[in-house]
Amino acid sequence: MSASSADMSRRKLLLGGAAVGAGVLLAGCTSNDTKDGDAGTNTKENTAASQAPGKAVTIGFSAPAADHGWIGAITANAKAQAAKFSDVTLKVVDAGKDAPAQIAALETLIGSKPDAIVLLPQDGAQLTAIGKKATDAGIIVINLDREFSDSAASFSLIKGDNYGMGIAAGKFIGEKLKGKTDAVIGEIPGIDELQLTKDRSKGFADALKTYGLTVKHRVAAGFTVESGQKAAANLLQAAPKLDAVWNHDDDQGVGVLAAIQQAGRKEFFMVGGAGSRDAMDHIKAGDTVLTCTVTYPPSMASSAIILARLAAQGKGMGDLVELQVPKLIVLQSETITKDNVDKYLPLGFKS
Amino acid sequence: MSTATTPSADPVELSKGAASSAAGQSWWQRDSADSAKRNLALIGVLVLLLVIGAWTRSDIFLDIDRLWSNELTVLTQASSIGVIVVGMTFVMISGGIDLSVGALLALASVWCTTVATQDLGPAAMVFTALAVGAIAGLVNGGLIAYGKLVPFIATLAMMLSARGLAQNISGSHTQITADPFIKSLAGDRLFGVPYMVIIFVVVTALGWVLLNRTTFGRRTIAIGGNAEAARLAGINVRLQTLLLYVLSGLCCGIAALMVVSQTTSGSNTHGDLYELSAIAAAIIGGTALTGGRGTIVGSLLGVLIFTQITNLFIVNNLQLDIQRIINGGIIVAAVLIQQFRVGSFFRTRFNK
Amino acid sequence: MTITDDIVLRLTDVVKTFPGVRALDGVQLEVRAGEVHCLLGQNGAGKSTLIKVLSGAHTPDSGEILWLGQPAAFNSPQTAMKAGIATIYQELDLVDGLSVAENIYLGHEPHNAGFVARRTMRRGAAEILGRLGHAEIPVGREVGKLPAAAKQIVSMGRALSREARLLIMDEPSAVLAHDEVENLFRMVRALTAQGIAVIYISHRMEEIREIGDRVTVLKDGRTTAANLDAKTTPTRELVSRMTGRTIEYVFPEKPETTQVYDKDAPLLQVEGLSLDGRFSDISLTVHAGEIVGITGLVGSGRSEVLETIFGARRATAGTVVVGNKALRRGSVNAAVKAGIGMAPEERKSQALLLGEPIYRNVTLAGFARFARVGFTDSGRERVEAEKITQGLDLRPNDVRRPVRTLSGGNQQKVVVGRWLLGGTKLLLLDEPTRGVDVGARAELYQVIRRLADEGVGVLLVSSEVPEVLGLSDRVLVMREGRLVREAPADELDEDTVLDLVMAGSLLDGADLASTAPEGTAA
Repeated sequence: MSASSADMSRRKLLLGGAAVGAGVLLAGCTSNDTKDGDAGTNTKENTAASQAPGKAVTIGFSAPAADHGWIGAITANAKAQAAKFSDVTLKVVDAGKDAPAQIAALETLIGSKPDAIVLLPQDGAQLTAIGKKATDAGIIVINLDREFSDSAASFSLIKGDNYGMGIAAGKFIGEKLKGKTDAVIGEIPGIDELQLTKDRSKGFADALKTYGLTVKHRVAAGFTVESGQKAAANLLQAAPKLDAVWNHDDDQGVGVLAAIQQAGRKEFFMVGGAGSRDAMDHIKAGDTVLTCTVTYPPSMASSAIILARLAAQGKGMGDLVELQVPKLIVLQSETITKDNVDKYLPLGFKS
Repeated sequence: MSTATTPSADPVELSKGAASSAAGQSWWQRDSADSAKRNLALIGVLVLLLVIGAWTRSDIFLDIDRLWSNELTVLTQASSIGVIVVGMTFVMISGGIDLSVGALLALASVWCTTVATQDLGPAAMVFTALAVGAIAGLVNGGLIAYGKLVPFIATLAMMLSARGLAQNISGSHTQITADPFIKSLAGDRLFGVPYMVIIFVVVTALGWVLLNRTTFGRRTIAIGGNAEAARLAGINVRLQTLLLYVLSGLCCGIAALMVVSQTTSGSNTHGDLYELSAIAAAIIGGTALTGGRGTIVGSLLGVLIFTQITNLFIVNNLQLDIQRIINGGIIVAAVLIQQFRVGSFFRTRFNK
Repeated sequence: MTITDDIVLRLTDVVKTFPGVRALDGVQLEVRAGEVHCLLGQNGAGKSTLIKVLSGAHTPDSGEILWLGQPAAFNSPQTAMKAGIATIYQELDLVDGLSVAENIYLGHEPHNAGFVARRTMRRGAAEILGRLGHAEIPVGREVGKLPAAAKQIVSMGRALSREARLLIMDEPSAVLAHDEVENLFRMVRALTAQGIAVIYISHRMEEIREIGDRVTVLKDGRTTAANLDAKTTPTRELVSRMTGRTIEYVFPEKPETTQVYDKDAPLLQVEGLSLDGRFSDISLTVHAGEIVGITGLVGSGRSEVLETIFGARRATAGTVVVGNKALRRGSVNAAVKAGIGMAPEERKSQALLLGEPIYRNVTLAGFARFARVGFTDSGRERVEAEKITQGLDLRPNDVRRPVRTLSGGNQQKVVVGRWLLGGTKLLLLDEPTRGVDVGARAELYQVIRRLADEGVGVLLVSSEVPEVLGLSDRVLVMREGRLVREAPADELDEDTVLDLVMAGSLLDGADLASTAPEGTAA
């Protein structure tokens, strides 16, 4: 009895020791600090006209919870840009999981009377009313990317160009495959139900049409790495030979590229979307089928903060004549290839 | 435990009649062949899916090389969820449920791909993934076995918090790994078979042996069949319950490594809705939600059916929304068939 | 209290069989308006099935039910309720989350064009509670927050709201404290005064004496006595109708003397064992090769004593010593390791994996012994299990059959066999012949005696007095959680034991306690 209990306690001690050791090791393993300390954000140093600190402004910021590299970069950029201004206080409110949650969060934010609100809505239409309410309360509302259904609900809108993104991707592929009308083209969108996916796909198809090309294989990949891998693996089975693929999203592209490598496929080239740092690195190194990506830059969040500050301080944009910031800014979708990737590398976001 | 409360039929029994009628109807023969029959039916469904494939995409399904390549892809795609289903089947046979599997996969994938872990090399990554899965499973099991929480609630809580922790650690970023060993797991093959498939087959085989040939498996079935009887037979029900959730968590850790390898990254979005897919696969494989019944082979076939359907949809360039409708229909059909059988059994046997 | 002669309910030769079980085998029952008709019977006598037949949950196979003079068939609980039969189950079927008024009118809420007429409902509920003499129960209160006694009143209120002509009460006093029982009786009398008939089921003789008008006794699914006078029929007669032998059992021969046991080294020694609210200060011994029987009524704590010795319940005081080793409280594992095995009362829900083969049930407590480094050896398990089941004369002796295909007696053998496989030294048997037919009983008795002859100690609980007397070497009698008598079986007869068992109805309880023999403290 006593011998066995001593044995037991020794075993327990060993087990306990091992458990503690494992725990320490595991706890240490949660660190994600990179050695170069690159946060992967894009900000702008103060421009000439806005350089001088103005009156102190409070800017509220709300964007959907980051479940995706691009959204994560939006929030990170907004925070980093605001930190560059000594006269800006940024109030980030959690937008929760869906539109009603974001509306509730914004109600509270409006109640605290900030000078401006930068808002990336969960859903443009559903958030229009609250945007209007904030505007009516005298708050400068900068609508980010997902457009309100009523332009009066915001002071300014700054957004990417989904249709243009499709055009850019289609143009790049079309130029490369010019004259090859039997070319097999694949498309890997994100979530088909979203308007932005529809716009991108339409732009892509429209651009391809001018070259006499069409999309042969198409499978949605749900904007996550894992579903990207799965969708691409199956797509590659459906199409034994491909000429080109446009993958809408560089985040899911991590999985798409992995699937392509695992299948050992090299006969085609791929165009990415959004412009992540990882995608740019691959383009620069030329080590994968990814030869190009068309941007949909999350740097727009930084610009939105700049716009909000200027508007709240009653200033215009330094390089423009007008005394107010513009009502609408649509960003170009730029095409990044090996030739110009160095220029864009600093803008690449961390997926 | 006043006996007067027993609402069941008073068992005044005429044993000889019962025994001889039972012998005449050979209940037991049907019974032992039940799971085999069910599995045959599932194989039939798989064959039917392949026939549909041959009909719609003869260029793939009637070309032996491309068929082989396509089916290897299906197996590879089924591999990570398949490993999770092995753990889930054990838990469900014991009468429990584990809703946290998808979230644990995400957490383990994130934890094993942090910069700090990656710096320690592939061995540390493997250890971390397995340890995180097993420890989270230990927490689940502890809450259920010793904290007397209902499995649904304990694992639901774990599902939420593990996903949250994964998000917190990763900062919602995709953590890419370039480790050659990890990448080789998904990229390399042995005798033409991807390692993913080999891992899948090995884990399933081990699961089968564990369930059918070991005391661990026997205890699992006993607990699910009649927990009180198991307890009164001297089986340590609580410890066994604890171990079952650790096993499920460990399977999540293995699956996490597989997904990390396949996607070359860890992410808090990994394993999305795996819990539902795993439960669905186990259910159409014949595992009872009430416990006591289920087979590893059946669950495995369940996974393959779902994966093959996905593959069929994609190679035919079809929208995935219709696939979801079909998946739902399959679950309902499978359970209806089982309920009909079990239901008719109870009606004739106990009149309840 | 006026008993009119209108017969509201008459059952003739009602039979209900389930596959393999003849639950009701010719029941006669006659209930008059305004009377309290008591239904007496052991567990398994068919009371529950009878209630279910009357409340529409079961349809009888044959026999006649006359309700208010008309042949009636209650196919569903709804028809029975509509006809005016309300049942108050022991586990009260109230919805905890709803208010008192909502519960009273559950399923037939007063309404206006589909909207529940809440005010009418509350007023009606208050009036009904008033009629029961409990206007103080707030009709708006959530039922889950009421004490058990008040819940019962709400249940009765529900029956009144249905305008029931017959109220079936299944052990209504089981959940009540003593003074609450008085109150219950007041309400029952108020109901009968209004001409409502009550079928009252209870094990407590004094209640039957106080509230009952007539008594019908059930045994083995048959009516063994009908319409006895509840006040004057001697308790002994009632009890013997309940438990008495309808068939002569054949008991195996006992060893000539009980002196062979080593009195100084008992196999099992229980000292001052108590479980709060169930039993207290139980001391007993069992020797190797000895069969000790415990008898008592339901609620006397007899089953709980076994379960506590086995560790399935955690004792609040006292010790259990096996050999020289005191067992850890509340640990089945410790008991099993010490060589104790138990066949619980509810075979199906507590002992068997019904869908699993016989051999796996036999090896449930011992499969690990046949395993090598965790790998089970089904082949050896089958062989070993077959040896055991052969010894127990299991029929059919095919160990691969699922256990549920066996008859009750053979299922019991499987449970006993489980413990024989492990070389168990002490076997605890709780109602070993419950649900076992007559022929198979004799066989089981032989098996139990043979085990004892082989040196196993047996502690068995049975509510059947002849069984305990015929099978045991020594008998312990329990009443209301206490041991009231211990004696060698041949010094006791059935009448004496029945007198001891009945709760002080014939003899003064205090006297009985003092007659407890010195042997109890051994």
